[in-house]
Parts: sequence; C-alpha cells; structure tokens
Amino acid sequence: MSDHWHHAILRGAAWLVPREQRAEWLAEWSAELWYARQARRAKPEVTAFCLGAYRDAVWLRRNRPDRENRGIPRLASPARCLLLLASLAVVSLLLSVAMPDSRTHHSLRSFLLMIGLACLIVRVTTSLSLGEYPANRNSPPLAIRLRRWLFLAAKIALLLPIVYCGAVTLESIGNRAEGAAGLLIQPLLWGSALAFRWVLRDQRKRCPVCLRLLANPVRVGRPSGSFLEWNCTELMCLRGHGLLYVPEGRTSWFNAPRWFYLQP
Amino acid sequence: MAIESKLSHTAAMILQAIGAGHGYGFHVIEMTGLPSGTVYPAMRRLERDSLIRSQWERQSIADAEQRPARKYYKLTRLGQATLEASHKRYPLLAKLIPSEEVEQP
Repeated sequence: MSDHWHHAILRGAAWLVPREQRAEWLAEWSAELWYARQARRAKPEVTAFCLGAYRDAVWLRRNRPDRENRGIPRLASPARCLLLLASLAVVSLLLSVAMPDSRTHHSLRSFLLMIGLACLIVRVTTSLSLGEYPANRNSPPLAIRLRRWLFLAAKIALLLPIVYCGAVTLESIGNRAEGAAGLLIQPLLWGSALAFRWVLRDQRKRCPVCLRLLANPVRVGRPSGSFLEWNCTELMCLRGHGLLYVPEGRTSWFNAPRWFYLQP
Repeated sequence: MAIESKLSHTAAMILQAIGAGHGYGFHVIEMTGLPSGTVYPAMRRLERDSLIRSQWERQSIADAEQRPARKYYKLTRLGQATLEASHKRYPLLAKLIPSEEVEQP
C-alpha cells in the first residue's frame, strides 16, 4: 500500500517538472526511493523524503532554460531599483499634473494623515524588524553600514510621491467618471501601507554591504526541529559578503532574520 | 568575482559530500542530514553552474546487482577548485563530511 502511495506522490510531483525532463526526473526519484526503502527508514520518513520531490520539481519548473532572462526587469542591483522607482515617480507626477481638477492642497493634508495610519497598519500586520546583523571581524566599516540606511530612506522618499500622485490621478479619473468625491482616501491609505510593507520586505532581502538582492534560497532544518535545530531559509549574497538566515517560525532564540558576515 | 563566493554553507556541504565520494542523491542526504527538498534542488543548481556533472550508471551493472540504476554525481574540475577554495571559508567542512571509498560506475 505504502509502495503505491510513495509512487503516487512522485508521479504527482512529476507533473510540475517540464515535459522534456519529466521521464528522467521520475526515473531518478524512483531509483532514489528504492534506496530510501533499502535503508530501512520508517514510513513517515520515506513519505517526507518523497514530499521533497515537490520542491525539486518546482525548482526545475522555475529554472527551466527557456524562462531565463524573461519577466520583469531585474531589481537585484540597488541602482536599478532606485532608477525604476525614480522613473515611476516622474511618470506618476506627470500624470497627476496633467489631470484636471486635482485638489492637491487638500490631498496633501490627507496624505500626511494616511501615512500615519498606514504606519499603524504595517506595525500591526508585519514585523518592523529589518533583521539582526551581529558584528564580527568581517563586518564592514561604518560608512558602508550607513549606506544601507540611506538606501532605505531613498526608497521611501521615491515611493511616497508615487503613492501620492497615483492617488491624486485616480481621484481625478474617478471624479470625471462618476462625479463623486472622496475617492482619494482609500488609495492613499492602502497605497502607503503596501509601499511601506514592500520597502521593509525588499530591505530585508538585500545584502547590507553591496545592497544587492540575496539569491539561492535553501531550506535548512525541519519544522518539527525548531526548538533544537535551525529551521530556516538560507539566502546568500552572490558577491560573497555573507549569508542570511530567515526563520520559518519564531522562537525565543531565533525570531528575526539573522545576517552572518563572511570574509569577502 | 570568485566562484566560491556563490556557495552557501549548505551548497558547500553538498559539494563536499559529492567530492568525498557520496555520489548519488540519497547518499548525500544521509551524509549531510539535509532534507531531500533541499539536497536535490541544490544539486540541480550545482550542475547548472558546472560544479558537478551527472551520469547514469550502466543498466547492466544495476541489473547484475538486482537494483535500479543510480544517477551518479561527480565534481568537475571547476567544482574541485571551488570546493578547495570553500575549505578556506568553511574550515569545518572536511571534518563534517570525511572522504569515503564508495563504489562508482
């Protein structure tokens, strides 16, 4: 019975594998399953082994050769990220200026109020911690560490005009379409909240030295082992500045992403 | 940029296991203690980066031993150089996973 069950798990995962790799992938996993059974592992362990096939299959699907160099512009570089945000800010500013009947003076006061509310929403819905960066002998000098905060400030400074001008544009479109007022508050509030949330998430996923997005996520540990072992995702800086460990669940000894500086 | 700088500790551990002669996926899992959902994607990535290469063993060998054929992984020259460089960054690697004489195709 368990034999069929384990093969069914593998066949289910095989559907996620790109068609041209599927047969070989299934042959490899079926062979590995045979060896896992020969090792006289308990049934739950063999099942856990088979479930790992889903992660492997998803990785293959995400990294198939024809998908490389496709999709949204890569924001790994901090310069590209700021450039994209600046471009969006300019476009949204031009759009809002071009719109007739935009009540800029009134909107600005609303915006400041909404920023305050958005901060409260973000505080409640997500962690504000940017992670732990314990110093060691490979820690960068103060100037480089300050750069990280400047980058964070620059992202916020560019996102706020995007949200504000975007909301003003939406309000103008809404007023023209329906003749109704009061469409500004919701986009300002939720736009600000989403912007702050994105800024925090993006900042946590960047190397504190070169500010590039971290890559190569690898799961380490098991959910059942949180008390005694690492149960986290390990990411790394492709320039070798260090490793980031993101906990899967919060524990008293490991409740925030923790950075480990490596020798460059 | 140095190649070894792309290797996380987990990937270096898997590379060390393969370099130490633990040439197929389940053996790497046993030696490193990492879950299958970590080991196989990491090996795909190492193969994509040309640090390891894979090869199916001959069916006749597997048939003679009445078991399914294994897909073996071996270090490439680049992988060997990367592993040696990684030992400087992660000095305990060799102690964690010592070399072992295992059967190869």
